[in-house]
Amino acid sequence: MERNEFFEQLAKAAETEGFTDCETYYQQADSFEVLVLEGKVSHYENSRTEGVSFRGNIGGRTGYACTEQLAADAIPFLVNAAKENAALLPPEDAEELYPGEKEYPVLQGIHEGLERLSVSEKIDAAKRMEQAALAGAEEVALLDYCVLGTVRVETVIRNSRGLDVSFAQNYATAFVSAIARKGDETKTGSYFWKDQDWNGFDPEKTGREAARRAAMQLGAASVPSGKYDAVLYGEAMVALLGAFCGIFYAENVQKGFSLLGGKLGQNIASTAVTLRDDALLTGGYASTPFDSEGVSGRNKAVIENGTLRTFLYNRKSAKADGAESTGNGFKASLTAPVKTACTNFYLQKGTKSRDELFEALQNGLFITDLMGLHAGTNTVSGDFSLSASGFLIENGKLGRPVEQITIAGNFYRLLEAIEDVANDMYFSSGGKGSPSILVRGLDIAGM
Amino acid sequence: MLKRSSVENIITAALETGADFAELYAERTEQGSIGMVNGRVETAQSGLSCGAGVRLFFGTQAIYGYANDMSEKNLIQIARGCAEAMKSSVQHSRKNWRETVRPCINPIRILPKNTAKSQKAEYLRLAAEAAKAYSPSITQTRTGFLEVSKHVLVANSEGVWGEEDRVRTRFTVEAVASSASEKQRGHFGPGGSEGMELFERINVEETAREAARIAVTMLGAKPCPAGKFPVVIDNGFGGVIFHEACGHGLEATAVARNASVFAGRLGQQIASPLVTAIDDGTIPNAWGSSAMDDEGTPTARNVLIENGVLKSYLVDRLNGRKMGAAITGSSRRQDYRFAPTSRMTNTCIAPGKSTPEEIISATEYGLYARQMGGGSVDPATGSFNFAVLEGYMIRNGKIAEPVRGATLIGKGPEVLWDIDMVGNNPKRAQGMCGSKSGSIPTDVGQPMLRVSRMTVGGRG
Repeated sequence: MERNEFFEQLAKAAETEGFTDCETYYQQADSFEVLVLEGKVSHYENSRTEGVSFRGNIGGRTGYACTEQLAADAIPFLVNAAKENAALLPPEDAEELYPGEKEYPVLQGIHEGLERLSVSEKIDAAKRMEQAALAGAEEVALLDYCVLGTVRVETVIRNSRGLDVSFAQNYATAFVSAIARKGDETKTGSYFWKDQDWNGFDPEKTGREAARRAAMQLGAASVPSGKYDAVLYGEAMVALLGAFCGIFYAENVQKGFSLLGGKLGQNIASTAVTLRDDALLTGGYASTPFDSEGVSGRNKAVIENGTLRTFLYNRKSAKADGAESTGNGFKASLTAPVKTACTNFYLQKGTKSRDELFEALQNGLFITDLMGLHAGTNTVSGDFSLSASGFLIENGKLGRPVEQITIAGNFYRLLEAIEDVANDMYFSSGGKGSPSILVRGLDIAGM
Repeated sequence: MLKRSSVENIITAALETGADFAELYAERTEQGSIGMVNGRVETAQSGLSCGAGVRLFFGTQAIYGYANDMSEKNLIQIARGCAEAMKSSVQHSRKNWRETVRPCINPIRILPKNTAKSQKAEYLRLAAEAAKAYSPSITQTRTGFLEVSKHVLVANSEGVWGEEDRVRTRFTVEAVASSASEKQRGHFGPGGSEGMELFERINVEETAREAARIAVTMLGAKPCPAGKFPVVIDNGFGGVIFHEACGHGLEATAVARNASVFAGRLGQQIASPLVTAIDDGTIPNAWGSSAMDDEGTPTARNVLIENGVLKSYLVDRLNGRKMGAAITGSSRRQDYRFAPTSRMTNTCIAPGKSTPEEIISATEYGLYARQMGGGSVDPATGSFNFAVLEGYMIRNGKIAEPVRGATLIGKGPEVLWDIDMVGNNPKRAQGMCGSKSGSIPTDVGQPMLRVSRMTVGGRG
């Protein structure tokens, strides 16, 4: 069924069933992905998916249900399931639908250059990445992955209170993971690129960089256990930000799942720390004009020079605190309810180069990778204990690679212990970013 | 879901592209979940998900396309569109359907959809209450219920036609204990390929109290000392060690590309002779069990390692072609959005002879990892890490004080050699395993094991 017709029929059926207000959140995604191996297309994927999440108010309660099939028989399913779900939820949690705003920020979502790209151009770029990776280092004879993809996502939200917003966006991603071997030793190194501007894509650089990262880890060994000063590369810091960003969500603070309750306006980090959540960042991977509730996106300082300025709110948590939504109400998927999520969430960079941080550090570690984030972190207490790898820093210079160590600490303490931030910047594909940071006294377990 | 004539037309059209193998996968899934925080319902969701995927092989090159629109016309268009990237003029033909009657290995007694949601919420409320009542230190509880009912159809050009109804239910509980400065968690998530009879098999209140006990114990625990020493890993979810350290490296996805440390090692001694490991997708009603895999191949009991000797990999159809190896009935996918590939089902280390008491008393000094958290591994290097949820020091052959924040790291191939005691108390536990073909239910399992030396990360 055509989608507008489906929305109308659904709204009509919901009204008949007793729903006073209702909303349809629609998403359509087109995606393409090609995986190249040994100069040939090894795997190729093409898809179109769509779905509708319905929410409505009935008897003073709010119920949810969703479908991937925009067909007539999905309508009674949605309406009946949402009704049964609503009955389970306490009336005080009823959600008032958002009528929308007069104006929304304008972001460039669709880049025509990407839309016009042919399949063969994409395959060709993937092959060039592979060649560059294989030629990138003597020890690299094999790739783990060499993938190129394009995605187009369109979101439409409409409700009976007048909200009617839509946004379509496209982007391309490339990812190479190279395997370097020397004797019995094997290392992997990866590099990714993501952008809306295809002209800015350098397939050779993407491949080469993955190979270089794999090869430079060869010869790695552990270090003796003890306390170390360290520079954490942006990618490692982003892994921690990703694991612990939930402590800044008002909904977690309200439920006691964050230790930041009552700390607004207080210093919770070193003065070197300014942490932003910016939905409107130009070229940001998570930029969006509105969140899943239709609230406009904005740029906020969460921590400013060490001071906690705001939590991240959706409409429900904002209401509980008597605050305004910060435009951070997002659904993780169609089936997920609106929770809180970050947009472009990054630690602001400083002025010194990474080498200057090494110089300040003199002797210690440069941590480039953290593993085991989904298991080795306690998001409530802030404790983490993670497998790590990187390099020695000796007399202010990068030394031999380091592996088989664990780094243990506490995220809250880490924020206080950040002595300096570099002027480099790493962004993950999800929009989390950080420069390299300098911290003292990390607990390292090794030999 | 799809008419037989439509499936025939789609497969025939797919073969016209010059592909030498064509497969259609279609599913219709109804899913429901309830989540409670502190005994109050916070989320209640229902979802209907439908979609189909067409996969074509050109030798060892694979193409996959998928969509929600399951009309014959659209799926034919996907098959043709996908083949744009390939050029082949060789024509292959479709074989006649061979329908095999697969025994139902997951009989369902009480279909979840026949039980009112209010009844399901009541189990969660009881669990939340039991966890809360365990100790005044318990400050938060999260309880959850998940039901999935999936109808799957797989048909391919070699005549395979398989259909299966898959029902899964799971109960989850998490308890958080707090002091002025610390918060610690305990959690469990028992489930199975079963209906509401899950709640006759488990006692939600006891499970909740056990989660609360872990949280409270860990709240009073000191940080774990770091270093390298013997580690005793208890049964059940402790099996995550094998899952991460070895299981992923035995998946053909990694082996076929020579990207696994275990590639080329069939028939060789790769582990201590005490280690026998089995992946078994046929265990009745187990979390990772099904009658057929997502390529329509009947599931099997595959002995991966026998007395330390590598016996088999987990092989899917595509990688089987690359490796010249037979398929093992363990090619799986999260849903139609993913092409299937070799994955684990229910993977367990077989029991040995030692009693748990013997293992502890034979350990002078070490870490006793009673409950494991999750972990991850890089199959290319075998490097793994995982978290200890509930840990204790072992001193003079006795379990001593609790310790928190421990992480175990190592390399799969090394740790397999360092297993020097295997207990006689096997147990399985449920997890969701994320990899190339999405997030799928898998059981991990083992008896109590001792690893003679392991790097333990901690802050003590």
